[in-house]
Amino acid sequence: MATPGQLMFARGLGPTARLLIWLLIGVGCVVLDTRYHALDGLRSGFSLLLQPVRETLRAPSDVAAELGGFFTRHRLLQKERDTLLAERARLMVNVNAARELLRENAELRSLLQLQTRPGQQVVHAARLYQGHDWFAQRITLDQGGGAGLRSGLPVVDAVGLVGQVTRVYPGSSEVTLVSSPQQLTPVFVERTGQRGLAAGSGQNRMELRYMPAQTDVRQGDRLLTSGIDRVYPAGIPVARVPRVTRSQSGPYLRVECLPLAGLDRSRAVLVLIAEPQVVTQ
Amino acid sequence: MNAPNQTFGNWRHILGSLTLAVLLEQLPWTGWVLALRPDFVLVGVLFWALHQPARIGFATAFFLGLLADFQDGAVFGQHAIAYVIGVYLVLFLRLRLLQFDPFRQAAQLFPILLAVQLTVLLVGWLAVNPPGGLTLLLPVLGSTVLWYLVAGFLRLWHGKGLQDRA
Repeated sequence: MATPGQLMFARGLGPTARLLIWLLIGVGCVVLDTRYHALDGLRSGFSLLLQPVRETLRAPSDVAAELGGFFTRHRLLQKERDTLLAERARLMVNVNAARELLRENAELRSLLQLQTRPGQQVVHAARLYQGHDWFAQRITLDQGGGAGLRSGLPVVDAVGLVGQVTRVYPGSSEVTLVSSPQQLTPVFVERTGQRGLAAGSGQNRMELRYMPAQTDVRQGDRLLTSGIDRVYPAGIPVARVPRVTRSQSGPYLRVECLPLAGLDRSRAVLVLIAEPQVVTQ
Repeated sequence: MNAPNQTFGNWRHILGSLTLAVLLEQLPWTGWVLALRPDFVLVGVLFWALHQPARIGFATAFFLGLLADFQDGAVFGQHAIAYVIGVYLVLFLRLRLLQFDPFRQAAQLFPILLAVQLTVLLVGWLAVNPPGGLTLLLPVLGSTVLWYLVAGFLRLWHGKGLQDRA
């Protein structure tokens, strides 16, 4: 074995010394990023670099989805169309009622001299990428600061709340999902109006925290955003309660929740841009 | 030099495979596939660190680790530190790994990959929940002093004296 690798002979620094140097740099990076947020420029750079790549690489899955849709059975489509028509008729009735309520509401508000609620603007965005972090569940959207997005905005899909925009780049943005650990969502139980705090527990699950043992929460209850945080508009469906267990040790109920939104399925989402409602007395 | 090493591993192959690995990770993986998705970039880096240590080493691993951090929206440095440690372990076991057939190599790589993953976990955990104070490390000092006292005492007990006169 004359030279099974140049590393047998020390040229410059040995591997251990180089490891230590790089470890120091790495620790420096962590400190700079968490303490001083000094590396956001690097993040934006990476996002600019990878954005077109991701846009391109989304094509294969889009094509696959198209092909899958192409071979849908005719009967299935007809059935779907019929149910949609029926649903549309029902919704039209609701829309008329809602229009009437809106008018009435505006009149009452002007009568009571309350501020009118600010309008809501939505930005359509498509999921571009899903990260794989231990500590947070995030997805990347294909809309960013250019479309008026900013940090903190709520993101919904057709069924419910998806999460909150946490980082914004020029052409893309990162959304922390409601099921992400440490992500808190103020909610209320639809049936009783009981307010609470839903926290993500990872793995597409949430739990309703700090519910005293005598609280009326049952299996099958729906949780909606309460709006008291002034981040999320009130009344967006968040989760369903599949099970409530009484803990033997703690004073609180253990309320598991399943997010309603298709957190890892929905490909198109809406970002709600609205000034949070200002409460006036 | 091992014979097969010279046939592959020029810059074109290295850059091509690493670029392919990065591209593969940009695909919109979801669900179970995402959970099972191998870390293409890490495997690529470790492979070239094994076969071309003069070209692919700590710096490449660190940079690609930063890229992985961006991808996951994680704290910068989390994957970078872990990848660097992975490269170090591969360099440490390099001569042994090169002797093995693919199956044994994979078996040897398993603990290395596990160590990398656990480092990601540890660094991320420390970054997200920074320890309250470094007083937790003070017992290290105390234990070292205790070691000195115990070892010294035993030496004296056996009549060797504190100085090593070997």
